[in-house]
Amino acid sequence: MSTPAIALRNVVRTYPGEPPIAALDRVDLRIDQGEILAIVGPSGSGKSTLLNVMGTLDRPSSGDVLIDGINTRDLSERKLCALRARKLGFVFQSFHLLESARVIDNVANGLIYQGIDRRTRNTRALRALELVGLADRAATKPPKLSGGQRQRVAIARAIVSEPSLILADEPTGNLDSKTSADVLELLHQLNRNQGATIAVITHDLEVASQMQRRVSVRDGRIEPTTSETAA
Amino acid sequence: MATSNPPDASALGRSRLRLADRLRTGLGGLWSRPARTLLTALGIAIGIASMVTVVGISSSSKADLLAELDELGTNLLQIKPGQSLFGDEAKLPTSASTMLGAVATVLDTAGVTTINTDVQRTTHDDSPNGLSVLTSDGDLDRTLQLNIASGRSIDAGNQALPVAVLGAVAAERLAITNTSGGPTVAIAGRKVQVIGILEAHPLHPDIDRSVVIGHSYATTVLGIDAAHTAIYVRVRPSAIEQTRPLLARTANPTSPTEVQVSRPSDALEAQTKVDQNLQNLLLALGGVALLVGGVGIANIMVISVMERRTEIGLRRALGARKGHIRSQFIIEAAALATLGGALGIGSGVAATTLYANSQDWTVSIPGQALAGGIIAALIIGATAGLYPAAKAARLDPADAVRPQS
Repeated sequence: MSTPAIALRNVVRTYPGEPPIAALDRVDLRIDQGEILAIVGPSGSGKSTLLNVMGTLDRPSSGDVLIDGINTRDLSERKLCALRARKLGFVFQSFHLLESARVIDNVANGLIYQGIDRRTRNTRALRALELVGLADRAATKPPKLSGGQRQRVAIARAIVSEPSLILADEPTGNLDSKTSADVLELLHQLNRNQGATIAVITHDLEVASQMQRRVSVRDGRIEPTTSETAA
Repeated sequence: MATSNPPDASALGRSRLRLADRLRTGLGGLWSRPARTLLTALGIAIGIASMVTVVGISSSSKADLLAELDELGTNLLQIKPGQSLFGDEAKLPTSASTMLGAVATVLDTAGVTTINTDVQRTTHDDSPNGLSVLTSDGDLDRTLQLNIASGRSIDAGNQALPVAVLGAVAAERLAITNTSGGPTVAIAGRKVQVIGILEAHPLHPDIDRSVVIGHSYATTVLGIDAAHTAIYVRVRPSAIEQTRPLLARTANPTSPTEVQVSRPSDALEAQTKVDQNLQNLLLALGGVALLVGGVGIANIMVISVMERRTEIGLRRALGARKGHIRSQFIIEAAALATLGGALGIGSGVAATTLYANSQDWTVSIPGQALAGGIIAALIIGATAGLYPAAKAARLDPADAVRPQS
């Protein structure tokens, strides 16, 4: 059996308080390479904490997070940065594009902290833009793009480093339903054609319903996995 | 553990940002807000401009004087009799000039004697004219680097003859413009022929106002005391400090305390330092402006860090280390200040040039002032960026990627 893209083992994340708040409580989760899934939960369920822990932006209080087989507990802060640069891709609800940088530079920034030279970055960024269908807007700046286009640029930035796992945090939260459907279709396409492993974190059950696999989070715990056949 | 091949964390390599990319990310923040960048840089620009202008104007005002000093040399020393133990006026021994000439590091010596008599155009003229009479034994021109404007000089061959050389002011007061036609002057009731006129010399206004006659003529015909009233000594430039203390004893071995040794160029040099206090005050004011500019930069950078929280969060998510974030903001602050420094130097040089031209001065701005201006700006900027940069690096990435509420 191949190494999972990410595996959480008995992960606990508590925040100090009286009494301490357990945002994540003994969470086990395994996502295999090439999977696409939804992590669903209402706000306050702990799904944001789960996203942070999966994305190594936050460390668990106890338990292990293995990304591509690497146990992040053993990693120094610096190594974690290197891991984020190479193994993880992020897509955010509000895109987080640099408004004054061209589209291609925004995408190429996905490689900048690997120390890759500019020409190589731009070549790879252009390829990523082709995959999201925006190669012709490479020289445009984000303010001239629609919301859907912006999110495509952000997705291109997440896939440009060919990470082991892409974490998409409410990727359609700022988009209308038609555009949302397009963006979700794009994620499915990337999963199918490029073999990208994608976890979509959402509170939107409609978005979740389009995924083969759904993981529900409630009160910091993963509820029994509901696996359905795709529509 | 199910994995067959052990996970290799070392294969991750390092999170690194190329130098060019460091600069690009640092400068990117400035280009995106040009108006704010310019306004913030203005504080530093004003500080640097005022400092460059102060240094530039003061340096330009002295440039001509210092160039002259350089040309004249600062290796000329003057030996004069001081006072004896009892307060009487001392005298230099007649051998002093010869003794001084024998010192290894002395290049030239010239003894002069001031004669207490007046000099007139004709023998029956007696209006006071403030001129004095000096004797020369022939080495005066070379030692003092006097130039002849017209005619020739007193030398070993003619110093026993009734001939005179006029200083520039003396020639003017006696209304003698050149030596053609053999003009004469009257000294102590005797007619003396003018054989030369000297050019004016800024270090020796006393010579300018003098009529120089031969030492032998003065002692033999006019009967004045052979002891010199002053001896000029030209010393090897590298040996001034060693030589200077030796001169008094050499000139008068029996009572060296009765000898005064001075350096005429010191007076001129002192003149260039008169405005030093004012200059320091103005520089301090410029420094205050710089400091205020630096605080302004720190201020704007703190605001910029708050505004760009999500950018910082994004960069951390993309794999940036804390150090990368820190350097991005320090570079941004330093670049901001350097831009201000460059603007300041530009306007400082312009202001100096304008003022110097209006005063007919040679424009002179020391290179150190320009380099110092840029370096000071760079350091102030980087320092001003330290706190905001540390603040940016400390942001919790998980927190920073969330949209601000």
